[in-house]
Amino acid sequence: MIEIKGVSKRYDRHLYALKGVNATLKERVTTVIGRNGAGKTTLVRILSTQLFPTSGTAEIEGLDILKDTKKVREVISSIPQESQLIGILSPLEQMQLYLMARGFSSSQAKRESEYALDELEMYEFRNAPSDTLSGGMKRKVFVAMALAAKSPVIFLDEPTTGLDPLSRIEVWSAIKRLSSKIILTTHYMEEAQELSNEVLVIDQGNIITHGTVKSLLSTFDGKMRAEKLEGTEFDIKIANVSIKYIDANEVDEFVRKGYDIKRINLDDIFLSKGVMLES
Amino acid sequence: MNPKFVLYFAWYYGFYVIKRGPSYLLASLSLPLALLFMVTIFTHGTLIAFAIAGGPIAIVAANSINGAADAAFFRIQIRIQDLYVATSLTSQDYMFALSMSYLVFSLPGIVLYAILGAYFKVFTLSSALPIIGILILLTLAISNLSFIIAGLLKHIRNVWGITAILSIIMTVLPPTFYPFYYLPRGVIYILSVSPVTPAAVLFQGVLFPKAVGMYSSVQLPMFVILIAETLVLIFLGRRFIRWRE
Repeated sequence: MIEIKGVSKRYDRHLYALKGVNATLKERVTTVIGRNGAGKTTLVRILSTQLFPTSGTAEIEGLDILKDTKKVREVISSIPQESQLIGILSPLEQMQLYLMARGFSSSQAKRESEYALDELEMYEFRNAPSDTLSGGMKRKVFVAMALAAKSPVIFLDEPTTGLDPLSRIEVWSAIKRLSSKIILTTHYMEEAQELSNEVLVIDQGNIITHGTVKSLLSTFDGKMRAEKLEGTEFDIKIANVSIKYIDANEVDEFVRKGYDIKRINLDDIFLSKGVMLES
Repeated sequence: MNPKFVLYFAWYYGFYVIKRGPSYLLASLSLPLALLFMVTIFTHGTLIAFAIAGGPIAIVAANSINGAADAAFFRIQIRIQDLYVATSLTSQDYMFALSMSYLVFSLPGIVLYAILGAYFKVFTLSSALPIIGILILLTLAISNLSFIIAGLLKHIRNVWGITAILSIIMTVLPPTFYPFYYLPRGVIYILSVSPVTPAAVLFQGVLFPKAVGMYSSVQLPMFVILIAETLVLIFLGRRFIRWRE
């Protein structure tokens, strides 16, 4: 379990990345959703002991991130969003270094690295200099590091950004096989829905909604999304797209008015909450 | 301390960089070899021994100061440092691993100069131990200086210019390629702001005891200065590395 207790982060006098965030993350996979600059990465960096909070703290498996940093680092592994491989070293070498930094023996690090690379269809590239790999392959190496580390808690900051659809499915499949607690951030609602049991929506440093996927979607029970360019009826307007949440019995009427009808998904939680906050 | 990580990192990032990118190695050797050539020509060969003795110091100092670019690149650009922060690794492990990788990267240059030194009878077997000790201290001091520089920079672009300037200042101005006793004593102490100066003075004391002779009284103060500077820079390096921001 992860308990976030009033975590704030201020980067300069006026720029608050997080504003007193409180949450208890109980489910095995939690996705943190938010737009660019919402505070997702700051939250993950604080929880994974890379960044000090300005105030507040958090507990991971009962260990305080400020007081028990060393022990916290033994139970977590974190794959930062912007990390890139050292171009001149191979994936295998960098995975071995990462695992040895975590306390693995050299032979164990090699064995686990090869196994994880194989899991992600990257085995044949294990000895290639990393700067010869595609962007997606490089990202998969980082995911392989998290797989190989086998930590009880794993933080994955946008693990599938830049991956092609096939690679994304491979990564999803690998994540699903893990038994660790996973906190992942993503822009892809489809990914959150596919992988997580629990969703935390962040906007402008605040949690705007938090719950299981099922409970969050239940607020839209019986609803459909109607979308139209320059539509006159709307609950939300994003650029020139009008979005209206309608009852199932209104579908025919809105189709006649030229609206596209879509099923409700996590996009709608993010869109409605996020946009409402801004307006 | 995680010696396994330090050793593997030093080997991978020291040796494999040479193997896969030999141009970096040639670039790091070009300045000391050019200076060796110049000193030999302009002194009609009289100071060739000093220019050879200064080679390993210049190589180690230049490679270590260029480490600022690596440290800044790893922290700001490719964010590899972030990856290691959330592990059992300490900032000291990480910094020591990077420092040792610069020493490994410097090894071919040191070997080249060892061969030249043996040929010109500059280096002897008995001088090997103190020379290695001085080079390790110099690596630690300068690489920690490079971590301080890297920690102060917000943009990676600035690091290239700063390290290029520092590399020249630190390797050419101190008595690396010429006898330290050509300088007034006061100037030696002023120049010892850079750890390269005490390292060069100590090197010359070990290799040319007869030539140094009456100037040997600066050896002990220079030894103390080098140790003190190394310790202070290690302490400050830890503060500036921005391990957990």
